[in-house]
Amino acid sequence: MPRRTAGAAVPEMFRFMLEKPTTEAYPFKPIQVPERFRGKLDIDPAKCTGCQVCSLVCPASVITMVDLGTRKVGDRELRVRRPLFDLSSCIYCGECVDNCAFNALELTKQFEVATPNKADLMMRKAVAK
Amino acid sequence: MSATPDQQRREESAGLMEYSAESLVPFGPIHPALKEPEYFKLVLEGERIIDVIPRIGYVHRGLEKAAESRPWVQNMYMFERTCGICSFVHSLCYGQAVEELTMFQVPRRAKFIRTIIAEMERIHSHLLWVGLMGHWAGFDTLFMWVWNDREVVLDLVEAIAGNRVHKSMNAFCGVRRDMPENMEERIVERMKFLTDRARYYREIIDTEETMLKRTENIGRVTAETAEKLCAVGPMARYVGLRRDVRLNDPYAAYDEVPLDVVTTTDGDVHALLRLRLDELVASANMVTYAVQNLPDGPIRVKVPPIIPAGEHSSHCEAPRGEIFYYVKSSGGRTPERVKSRQPTMANLPTALEMLKGQTLADIPVVLTAIDPCFGCMDRMSFYDTETNRKWTWSGEELRQFGINYYFPERAKRKPALADLIGRSASVEQCSREEF
Repeated sequence: MPRRTAGAAVPEMFRFMLEKPTTEAYPFKPIQVPERFRGKLDIDPAKCTGCQVCSLVCPASVITMVDLGTRKVGDRELRVRRPLFDLSSCIYCGECVDNCAFNALELTKQFEVATPNKADLMMRKAVAK
Repeated sequence: MSATPDQQRREESAGLMEYSAESLVPFGPIHPALKEPEYFKLVLEGERIIDVIPRIGYVHRGLEKAAESRPWVQNMYMFERTCGICSFVHSLCYGQAVEELTMFQVPRRAKFIRTIIAEMERIHSHLLWVGLMGHWAGFDTLFMWVWNDREVVLDLVEAIAGNRVHKSMNAFCGVRRDMPENMEERIVERMKFLTDRARYYREIIDTEETMLKRTENIGRVTAETAEKLCAVGPMARYVGLRRDVRLNDPYAAYDEVPLDVVTTTDGDVHALLRLRLDELVASANMVTYAVQNLPDGPIRVKVPPIIPAGEHSSHCEAPRGEIFYYVKSSGGRTPERVKSRQPTMANLPTALEMLKGQTLADIPVVLTAIDPCFGCMDRMSFYDTETNRKWTWSGEELRQFGINYYFPERAKRKPALADLIGRSASVEQCSREEF
């Protein structure tokens, strides 16, 4: 039969009174994120070849390929396509990063992506001329 | 065999006619955070609930239909978002069903990593639940402490998977990330800490007046009832049924990791609290064992994007009970059919039995006890048959009512019940027909 006392919680209350706060003053102090943290997506445009694997594997349809005209290789005309990212619907799964054969994509440690303007989250780095 | 919707409606209204002398309290229905939104018509006799008539299916997200138009791998991320608490186990269960169709074997190391993540998820889900029980019982200090300790396990998950909630760890036939190096010592130490904390919380809930008064002898069902109503997970184990998928049909590495299935026979909400805290200790032991005995080897086998034709099902033990996935492939890039069944759906009939005979003040505690998402409390409206009054209580007001009901001495310091009713009653007045 359980004892009906109120003693068990008291020492813990004193411990928490004497300890420093467990919450972190985040907006005023930078917050530490772990090594593997999956934050905002970033692309290195120099490495991207426009193979469009990332746009095929993305579960959230973040990535669309944009036609940037043609390029002459020898006597062949090749279409040049580059990814355009709508990061507002990114779910940070990292599937595109895993599938990029040229290591052009990475998930950075940046997590402060809130913005009043949705257009800010369109990443046009790879399609900018 | 099954009645048409019209017949059901007629039967339901015929059933309500029997209760015309009692108060009818509609409860629900819509809350987006719930997997299976619940709407309860509570029939009250004074304070006591004499019957509950449920109706479900208000927010139908169409996940199963959406799965038919998406590639196999993308579905894994979509099913992971079925639940915001036990996310990993959904992708694991769907992944296992698909793996059976592919003829590839999951590497042993991947199985262990899956077990570690699944058990960490159980620990964080149970801690979350214990905190919520403290909150609804009027013991917010416990809620703060437990959620503070929950950060410990969430930090570990974040260090392994890169995110606190949606781990995105699963791939077909393997996991996407290996365990970080030099994590073993840290995990073992944190699991020891959580074990100590769980034992301490057991001491608190066994001795504190607040928890005992709100949970003892509340929400009783017998083992026969729970068995007849097919309760799963902790809802079956708290009446003494040894129902656990990890034991009955081991998946991942549960056949190699020493498994301790905790059962109690008390069958009230207090037993559920003790059971979940004991399960937490068992899970911490399993994580410790799995981390210390992690085998070497590959973590993943690459699976082609086209899955061979066939059908298969899989079930896993989520923190709330058994989840079930059925997958059918016609040999294409997308599934032909995916069916998923979540534990709250299976536990709902038992929850209704738990509610019968309880008072209005026990509703938050009993409904939280089955571990649904708690937000549905925010949509509670009342109807008084004698005065034709209708009023609405928010979740906070309902919680306050529950605390005042059991601890009247605290009501002096907080808004009195009469104030709450008086304020809410002026909002709206209508006749019974409008329900």
